[in-house]
Amino acid sequence: MNAFNTLERRTQFVGIGFVTPTFLVIALILVYPVVQSIVLSVGQSSVDGFEPYQFVGLEHYAALMEDDRFWRSLSVTLIFTAISIPLELMIGVGLALLMNESFHGKGLARLAVLFPWALPTALNALIWRWMYNADYGLFNAIGLESGLVSEPVNWLGDETLAMASMVIVSVWKTSSFMALIILAGLQSIPRDLYEAGRMDGMSRWQEFREITLPLLKGSIMVALIIRSMDALRTFELPFSLTDGGPDSATETLSLYAYKVIFEFVEFNAGSAIVVVQFAVIFSLSLLYIFTLRNKD
Amino acid sequence: MSNRPRIILYSLVGLSVVISFFPIVWLVLTSLKNTAGIYSWPVQYWPDPLTFQNYWSIFTETPELLRYVLNSFIVGVGCTILTLSVGGLAGYALSRLRMRFAGVMMVIILSVSMFPPIALLPALFQTFLNLGLLNSFTGLILAHTGLFLPYTVWMLASYFRTLPVEIEEAARLDGMGFLRIFFSIILPLSWPGFVATGLIVFIFSWNEFPLSLVLMTQDAMRTAPVGISLYPGEFAFPWETISTATVIAIIPVLVITAIFQKQILGGLTAGSGK
Repeated sequence: MNAFNTLERRTQFVGIGFVTPTFLVIALILVYPVVQSIVLSVGQSSVDGFEPYQFVGLEHYAALMEDDRFWRSLSVTLIFTAISIPLELMIGVGLALLMNESFHGKGLARLAVLFPWALPTALNALIWRWMYNADYGLFNAIGLESGLVSEPVNWLGDETLAMASMVIVSVWKTSSFMALIILAGLQSIPRDLYEAGRMDGMSRWQEFREITLPLLKGSIMVALIIRSMDALRTFELPFSLTDGGPDSATETLSLYAYKVIFEFVEFNAGSAIVVVQFAVIFSLSLLYIFTLRNKD
Repeated sequence: MSNRPRIILYSLVGLSVVISFFPIVWLVLTSLKNTAGIYSWPVQYWPDPLTFQNYWSIFTETPELLRYVLNSFIVGVGCTILTLSVGGLAGYALSRLRMRFAGVMMVIILSVSMFPPIALLPALFQTFLNLGLLNSFTGLILAHTGLFLPYTVWMLASYFRTLPVEIEEAARLDGMGFLRIFFSIILPLSWPGFVATGLIVFIFSWNEFPLSLVLMTQDAMRTAPVGISLYPGEFAFPWETISTATVIAIIPVLVITAIFQKQILGGLTAGSGK
């Protein structure tokens, strides 16, 4: 009994030793900066600490409420998320169902699904920026030659089109990630459920509606929440594709916050934007954790 | 089964493959054109003449673009090694040592992983400025490690859980210490998990943008995605150089993905869809 207690105590002790480095790094890189952002957002200070920190209360938040560009970037972010995510979900479910079939060339298809995921978002945005180019771009070349459009389209130069163009790039890049998560869910559905369904004379559509979809709900929720959090913090896509233009039509919250902090050098005002964004995304992540727990 | 569904199936697969690959194909074709070919109307679909001039120019005229790729390598490798060693120990302790509050700690790690990187920027920039960590590999490696550590702990913990408990009990009866058990028994058994996690973390680090942008302010220290995105000047947009540099910068991640597609696929979906 005594020996057991010693071993138990040693185990706990060693365990704490093993997790300490992880919690130190997390505290320094993730937790402290978020706390500090909140502190910065209710004060006035200079980056180098030359000007001493002064508490100003909710002044920066009040200023945000009056800031049209903040509201615009918030609505750009929400519209971008609300349009991209359903498109990604539909394509993702389709791709997952496709990948779940058996066919020759599975390796190539798997690669096709993984490639968009593996590309750096910023560089992918540059690749598309070139294809969208109004004068020499691939899309205008195809559009004009096939007669789909009669004159060159300024894809990134018009406010609505620029948003649509950004959504297309995002859907192209991230639908496959959605597909991967949903595919994993599909593969965990027991085969005999379908056999039972077939014996009952279900059509394929009925199978999908009554067996596949209900059992996929969990995976779909996970995919939706992960991707929504991602979309709400979209940064490098507009950074490299449009720089937020034209006239901040594609300026997301993250991009605006970055500009306020590092281009206008307003650390405290920028921190307030960042805190608002943090609050939105973090509440979504709590929903995510709650969903996962309910699934188990 | 009749032939018609097969035909539809293969056309859909073919369509998906084409849609996935055409931007990269177009990028590579662009990089193989000369400047006149890039800025020509009607658009040249096939490079005429097909030339490697742009690649040669990068090596001789704009070697800073190669420097960005090298920087990405240093940060990516450093971050992967650090993340796997720190996260490996934690993942092991939290999944196998029956620690008190292990569940709570896992949830804390999961929830901090969802902090948006932009929220870290003001304070991280200020802290790194004060600590002299701006424009240093150590600094960015540490920052990336923080970002990807939660994912690593979760992934490795789920791999460790698949190992049979008996092996550790036997080793403990033989009088082996915890560290020895970890290094000489657990590590060799779970290397596939380490490989999959390490590859994904490397790709994450290679692609990371906001922190790399802000914490590396000197041109010579920039990573590939940031350096190439900022390369265009105020007025000119030299696509011949940008497309070529982009090809060079995405080759490493695409090659890794192509070779290790099964491992990466397993790593990405583990735990998400049970």
